[in-house]
Amino acid sequence: MRKVLAVIRREFETRVRTRAFVISTVLGPLFMGVLIFLPAYLANKETGAKPIVVVDAATGTFGDRVVAALQDSRIGPSSTGRPRYAVERVAADGRAQLVSDSLTALIGLARGPAGAPAGFVVLTDDALATGTVAYFGSNVGSLSDMESLRSTLRPVIQTERLVRERVDTAVVRRATAPIELQTSKITEGRVTGESGTSSFILAYVMSFILYISLLLYGIQVMSSVLEEKTSRIMEVLSSSLSPFQLMLGKVVGVGSVGLFQLGIWAAAALYLTANLVPVLRLLHLPAEAAADISVPNIPPALLIVFFTFFLLGFMLYASLYAAVGAMCSTQQDTQQAQQPVMIGIVAGFMCMFPVLNDPSGSMARTLSLIPFVAPFVTPLRYSIAPLPPSQLLMSMATTLAGVLAIIWLASRIYRVGILAYGKRPTFKELWGWIRTA
Amino acid sequence: MSQAAVLVDRVTKRFAGHTAVHELSLEVPRGGIFGLLGPNGAGKTTTIRMMLHVITPDEGTITLLGGGGTGRDMAHRVGYLPEERGLYKKMRVLDHLIFLAEIRSLSRAEARKRSLQWLDRLGLHDWTNHRVEDLSKGMQQKVQFIGALLHEPELVILDEPFSGLDPVNSQVMKDVVVEIARSGRTVLFSTHIMEQAEKMCDRVAIIARGQKILDGSLTEIKAGAGRRHIALAYHRDAALAARVLEDRKLVAKADDYGASAEVELAPGADPDELLRSLVASGVGLSRFEIVEPSLQSIFIDRVGRDAATAPATEDAHA
Repeated sequence: MRKVLAVIRREFETRVRTRAFVISTVLGPLFMGVLIFLPAYLANKETGAKPIVVVDAATGTFGDRVVAALQDSRIGPSSTGRPRYAVERVAADGRAQLVSDSLTALIGLARGPAGAPAGFVVLTDDALATGTVAYFGSNVGSLSDMESLRSTLRPVIQTERLVRERVDTAVVRRATAPIELQTSKITEGRVTGESGTSSFILAYVMSFILYISLLLYGIQVMSSVLEEKTSRIMEVLSSSLSPFQLMLGKVVGVGSVGLFQLGIWAAAALYLTANLVPVLRLLHLPAEAAADISVPNIPPALLIVFFTFFLLGFMLYASLYAAVGAMCSTQQDTQQAQQPVMIGIVAGFMCMFPVLNDPSGSMARTLSLIPFVAPFVTPLRYSIAPLPPSQLLMSMATTLAGVLAIIWLASRIYRVGILAYGKRPTFKELWGWIRTA
Repeated sequence: MSQAAVLVDRVTKRFAGHTAVHELSLEVPRGGIFGLLGPNGAGKTTTIRMMLHVITPDEGTITLLGGGGTGRDMAHRVGYLPEERGLYKKMRVLDHLIFLAEIRSLSRAEARKRSLQWLDRLGLHDWTNHRVEDLSKGMQQKVQFIGALLHEPELVILDEPFSGLDPVNSQVMKDVVVEIARSGRTVLFSTHIMEQAEKMCDRVAIIARGQKILDGSLTEIKAGAGRRHIALAYHRDAALAARVLEDRKLVAKADDYGASAEVELAPGADPDELLRSLVASGVGLSRFEIVEPSLQSIFIDRVGRDAATAPATEDAHA
C-alpha cells in the first residue's frame, strides 16, 4: 500500500540521513575490527619483557627453580613466544627486609630510570611452608598479570615441596606436567574445529546485538511517535492514515533501519574475515598473526534463526514502545512509562546466563516458549547446542502468536493515545482504551 | 454531482464531562466558500475533526462528497489544514511536501512537480532544501497550507487558516482560497473573525456551545436581520456621539468602536431623527449610511455576549 510505503520510506530516510546513523554505522565495524585485530596487533608490537626482581632469601634450590620458571614463561606458544619476564635475581639471605625497602623506592615512580622493575617477588623458606609468596609491584591491580604470575609460581612451589620431601625429580616432573582440556564442537554430525570458547563468544555477541538493537531502535520508535504528537502533525497523519497503518509503517521503517545497519556490519565482518591476510599486511603484521584471530564459524541456518527471532523480537518490543509513545505527552512521561518494556528486554537478556549454563535443560525449554524472552533464548540455544526442530518450531509459533497479540493490544492503545494529550492514562483508563471499539 | 460537499446529520460528540457538539446538522453545498463561525470553544474544531474522521462522532453521521466511506477513505479528495499546525521539524521542505502528498495517494514524481510549483508561487522557492525548523512560523504555515492542497482536493477544509498570519501572507492565502472556489471546488473554513468571513464566504453557519444558531447564504442571513442598521463615523468628539447613542428611543443597540459605530435603530425610530441629533451634537459626522447589518453584529446579536466567552473545559482534547 502506497501510503504505508510512504511512512516507511520517511522513517527510513530521515533516520539513515542523520549524522548519528553514519557515525554509529562506521564506528560499529571499527570497534569490531579493533576487537578482532587488537590482540594480534598488541601481541606483535609489545616487545619489552616485564622486568621483575626475585629477592631470594630462601635456602636451597628454591630461588633457582623460580628464576628458571620465570625465564621460561612465554607469551604465546611455549616454543616460539617471547619471554614474558626479564628476571633479575638478588641474593638477600637474612636481609630480605632491607633489599625490599630499597627496591620499593625504585618502583612506580612517575619518571623512573629505564628498565626499572615492575615489581619483586620475595622468596623465603616460610613462603614454601605456608604457600604464601609475597609480590610487591605497581601492577598488582592487573588481574591477568597476577594470574600469570600465580600460575607460573604454583608448580614451582609444588615441585620444590616434593623435592624437599626427597621425591625423585623425574617423578615430580611427570606428576606435575600440565593438563589441558581440548574442546571441539560438533555441529550436524561433523567436527567444526571450533573451540567451545568461540561458539560461546558468537552466541554472546548475537544476544548482545539483539539487546542493544531492541533498546536503541525501540526507543527510536517511541520518540518518533512522541514527536508526531508534540509537533501536532499527528492530526494531518491520522486524517489520511489509519492508526494501524501509521504504527505498522513506523515499526517497519525503524526496523528496516536496524536491519540495514546490521547488514552493513555483517558485510563488513564478512569482508574483514575473508581478507584477513591483506588487512594484516596493512597493519604491518605478519600473515602468521592470523593464527591469533579466532573467526567463529557462522552456519547459514543459525543466521536465519537469528534474523527470524530478531524480527519477531523487534516487532514485539517496537509495538510496545509505540504504545508507550502514544500514551505520553512529554519526554519526561516516557521515562517512567517505558520502564516495564525496558524491564522485559533486560530480563530477556539476563535469561541468557542460566541458558548458557544448561542450554537443553527444562529452564531453557520453558523460556523458549515465552514470547518476551524467546527472541533472546532460542537463537542462543540454537548456537550452543543442537535444537530439535520440534522445539524450534514450537518456540517460533508461540513467539509469533505472542507478537501478534501484543501488536493488536499495542495498536488499540496507540489508536486512542495518539490524539490524547495531557495526563498519562491510568491502568484503568488504558483498559478502557483497549476496549473501545 | 448534486449531493452536498459535506453533510452533517444530527451529530453529537461528548468528551469527559461535557458535550462538545450537540445534534448538529449542516449542509455545505458544492462549490464556493463556506464559513463555519463561532466563538472560541463553540465546537468548530471538534466538528471539523469529525468531518476528517480524526475523531468519530458518538451519534449521527457525516458524509463527505456524497458518501463512499469515512473522511479517511476520502483523504485523496479532501485537503485539511488543522488548527494545530505541525510539521516534522527536521525534514527538508520539499521532502516534507512530497511525504504529505504521498499519504494522500499522489505519486512521488507528481508530488515533487506540484510542490515546486507551489513553493514558487508562495515565494518559498529559496527554502526548498532547508529544514522545516529553519523557517519562520508564517512560512511553516504556508508549507502546511501547500501540503493540504497538493493533491488538488475537491473539498478543502481549513481550520482557522488565517490565524497568526501577517497581512501580506493573509492576502496570499486568501487569493488561493478564492481561486479554489472559483475553479468550482469547495472550501470550508472556520474562523471567529467575522470581517474575514463576511468578505469571503458565500454561505456561513454560526455555531455556539456545540449547537447551530443559524446558517444560510450571507444575503439571506442579512436580509433576515432587517435593514435597520446604520454605520457611523465621526472625526471630532466621540464622547458627544456616545451620549446620543445612549438614547434608547432612537437606538436599540450600538456597537461602538470609538471613532465609528454600527447601530441598530429602535423599533419605530426614524433614521432622519438620529442624523439630526448627531449633527446637532457637533460630533463632526463623516459617515452616515443605512447598511445591511454586519456579520459581526448579527453574530453578537444571536450568539449573545456571554457565549463569546466559552467555558474553560470546552475545547479540551479528551
